[in-house]
Amino acid sequence: MKIVLDLAQVLLIVLCAPLVRGIIARGKALLQRRQGASIWRPYAELIKLFRKEELVPPTSSAIFRAAPAVLFGATVCAAAFIPVLHASALMASRGDFFLLVYLLALARFFLSLGALDGGSAFGGMGASREALVSSLAEAPFLLGLAAVAILAHRAELAGIVAWTLEQNVFDISAVHMLALTSLAMVTLAETGRMPVDNPTTHLELTMIHEGMVLEYSGPSLALVEWSAGIKLHLMLALLVALFFPWGMASPNSSWGMAAALLLYFAKLAVLMALVSVIESAMAKLRMYLVPDFLGVASAVSALAVIFTVLVKR
Amino acid sequence: MILLLPLVIPVVGAGLLLLFHNPRAATRAALLLGAVEIAAISAVIRQVHLRGAVEEGRYLRADGLSAFFLVGIAFISALVLLYSSGYLRHTGEGRFSSPRWFYALCFLFLFTMISVCLSANLGLLWIMMEGTTLASALLVGFYNTEGAVEAGWKYLIVCTVGIAFALFGTIVLYLAGVKAGMSPAAALDWLALKNAAPHVGLDPHLVKLAFVFVLVGYGTKVGFVPMHSWLPDAHAEAPTPISALLSAVLLNCAVYAVIRFDAIVSAAAGPGFPHSLLLLFGVMSLVVAGLLILVQRNLKRLMAYSSIEHMGIIAIGLGLGGPLGLFGALLHTFNHSVAKSLLFFGAGNIRHNLSTLRMEGIRGIARSLPQTSAALVIGGLAIVGLPPFSLFVSEFAILSEAFGGAHYFVAVLFLIILSVVFGGFAHHLLGMLCGEPDRRAESSRLIPSEYTAMGIAAVCLVWFGARIPSTFGDLLRDAMAVLR
Amino acid sequence: MGLVGIASGKVLSSFSVFLFLTILLLAVARRISTSVLLFSLQSAVITAEVLATAIQEKLAEAWVVGLLVFVIKVVAIPRAFFVLTGRLKTVRDVKASTTPTQSVFIVALMIYLSYAGVHSYGQAVHVPDDALAAAVALILTGAFLMVSRTKAIMQMLGLLVLENGIFLAALITTFGMPLVIEIGIFFDILMGLLLMGIFTFRISDTFDHLDVSKLRRLRG
Repeated sequence: MKIVLDLAQVLLIVLCAPLVRGIIARGKALLQRRQGASIWRPYAELIKLFRKEELVPPTSSAIFRAAPAVLFGATVCAAAFIPVLHASALMASRGDFFLLVYLLALARFFLSLGALDGGSAFGGMGASREALVSSLAEAPFLLGLAAVAILAHRAELAGIVAWTLEQNVFDISAVHMLALTSLAMVTLAETGRMPVDNPTTHLELTMIHEGMVLEYSGPSLALVEWSAGIKLHLMLALLVALFFPWGMASPNSSWGMAAALLLYFAKLAVLMALVSVIESAMAKLRMYLVPDFLGVASAVSALAVIFTVLVKR
Repeated sequence: MILLLPLVIPVVGAGLLLLFHNPRAATRAALLLGAVEIAAISAVIRQVHLRGAVEEGRYLRADGLSAFFLVGIAFISALVLLYSSGYLRHTGEGRFSSPRWFYALCFLFLFTMISVCLSANLGLLWIMMEGTTLASALLVGFYNTEGAVEAGWKYLIVCTVGIAFALFGTIVLYLAGVKAGMSPAAALDWLALKNAAPHVGLDPHLVKLAFVFVLVGYGTKVGFVPMHSWLPDAHAEAPTPISALLSAVLLNCAVYAVIRFDAIVSAAAGPGFPHSLLLLFGVMSLVVAGLLILVQRNLKRLMAYSSIEHMGIIAIGLGLGGPLGLFGALLHTFNHSVAKSLLFFGAGNIRHNLSTLRMEGIRGIARSLPQTSAALVIGGLAIVGLPPFSLFVSEFAILSEAFGGAHYFVAVLFLIILSVVFGGFAHHLLGMLCGEPDRRAESSRLIPSEYTAMGIAAVCLVWFGARIPSTFGDLLRDAMAVLR
Repeated sequence: MGLVGIASGKVLSSFSVFLFLTILLLAVARRISTSVLLFSLQSAVITAEVLATAIQEKLAEAWVVGLLVFVIKVVAIPRAFFVLTGRLKTVRDVKASTTPTQSVFIVALMIYLSYAGVHSYGQAVHVPDDALAAAVALILTGAFLMVSRTKAIMQMLGLLVLENGIFLAALITTFGMPLVIEIGIFFDILMGLLLMGIFTFRISDTFDHLDVSKLRRLRG
């Protein structure tokens, strides 16, 4: 039973990823007083792309063709560590949050390689910027997760969630506040959202993630877009699981599972609304200010780790 | 009742002064108000001297120490008011630069300083101390030039931050009192704290922490060395009468506050800790200011650094403790005020006759401004501590205490710096006095108010150097008795 | 009493977290208006703390103090700041001399130092470490803001944060000082701010800018 639920969690994250993108895009449109596309449009787009012919630059090598697959595989694997419905995950193991961070890094690494291999100038530019952003974002990501892990005395994400479920929701913990702040900033950076990167820009000189995928077409592009969606959903699910997990149920009651699912969607909706608001309210940071943004995240996450020693909760 | 008069008169008077639009009428009204105020202060001093401490309500008290400092305030304010009645004829016109604003702010400033001396409650002391900063900030920036605005801003910011730290120290002391079982009202009352300190168990750690913050905080207003950055600017850019008030009266009020806290802390945790801190700050101020005097180029900044140096001497006197040290420190507060006022008055004249305060540009004033030069020479000789002037007596007392208490290092350092300062002043003054006067002095005669004020100051320096008048000596003894 | 009592208890035990957040955000804020809003938020948290203390310790005076804090520090002073910046027509940038990353690291270091500093005193005074550390951190951050932000208005704000810290320290350890003294202190702060406002106008008139790091005529 546990295995089925864990598998369902992974499928949930993977299959609902385009929906998450659609809802956020719709939210932004509403905030900007536009009609906006339907929330199911990303699915239509994926289906369309899978049916299209794939064109590959003649100067590219196998890496260009393999990159989307590696990207997709690594991202789906990362999704297997996140507890969504109950305090357990498909591939939960001791120290798995390190694996999570580095699977995402592996995905990003191959995407950058593919972009470089594609031979376009914008791919190279996007790859180098992505390298900067991701190298700076790695520290606060790890430190934030580590701070929460140290506080919970558990080494796996599922265990941390289980520990958090036992805590009193009204005893606000300084460590959690600081870790939430830094992880929220990291989420925005890692998933290529404002203020770090604009996912809807058409100006190639301002692109980071979009620049890297310019050369892809057909099924490869579909995989790349889907992976971006899965990564977004994954990060949001991670935030929900680590900081607001109350409502997750034990595997035995089916009513509990249904309630957990509904509650999860409610929390996710709140986060998606927040992302829409932040994306609409903030302007994109110029590239030389992004290290400042991530530096602040690093300092806050370092403080979170220090606080695990200073504070009793 | 008698304590309320010196407080109410300046406030009400300041408001009334604003109604006198005619400059001459405003000046005369100010002089009258000053006379009334000094009469009120003298009445308080007399009352305290004859019948001991006077109390008014829960927040005001005048004891021997307050009376002693009030003497200084009254005397110097009289001199300053006299001098400024003539000095203001030189000030230009501006929106807030008229004499009525000057005098109104002056009296508000006086009110705050007198309240500091009359406070029984440490919280009220703090409030009034902050009030002195606020009241004098506009006076420092009175001329509205670039330098004055910068000096005023720096003064306001640095002193407010310093006093905020003093507030923290006051709170910690209050906390110590409350923790030891004193009632909230008593835990802020100076006399209650001092009397209770040996019996009630005031936590020595808290009391020492409180003293550190208070010394740093009120020490900023005194001008102790790491916190002195506002002093040269403020004293140099303010109008001359205000510079005299700042150097001669305000610094003394801040010293008064430090003395009050020192008394409590010594009673609660032993005199070793506070006195070593006072010695430390005193020596630092003495050495740094003494050395910086050598490289000054502006006459008023030179005098400001000299004030810092003398505050260092006072701190050393307090830190050495003992009857001679305390006697010397208290006497020095008065003597220094008189000498510094004289020097500032002379500088004011130079400024208006020669339009500059840069000492390199001033030559031959012995010939062009004879009376002013006489004032500067007397003041200069007095300020470096030469006999027969009064500062020699107080510095000698402090030095005796240093040698008597085997603080040889401090004593030798003191003597070295005094010699260095003597050399510096001699160099600067001789440079200004000798040589050919290369600017035509505008009016080389002083008007009566100016030379009366300077004359009185000079006479006082010589008189007190020869022998301290008996009444004054009694007041000094009363002040020391309060602290025992 | 029940729910209110529990709520006030929770406020007392967890408000320091919010204060730490506000000072971290103050370290990175790049516009004057953001900084003023953060100060307003900080004062609101402190008001909540005062009111919670009033409920828990049943002190009538604390209600008056809480009201004063709210009216003066949450409403009046921030509004005055906005009016001041509007009148001065100054550029809205904070003009910090340290980058946001450096500022946040420095503030984080200060938070750590305040914890280290209050550890020994916290035992003596029977106060939870968090609250006292928050007060000391506010004081240190106020001092840091005054030193690193070179606009005259930001120095005023730094001073206000410093005073907030001192007020909080007094509140936590002694539940406030006698009411008359508290009112006197508020009055002094208001007068001080008024004077600083006047001086800011004068600086702007005389120098045509508000950058106090450029006020270096008087030296030596």
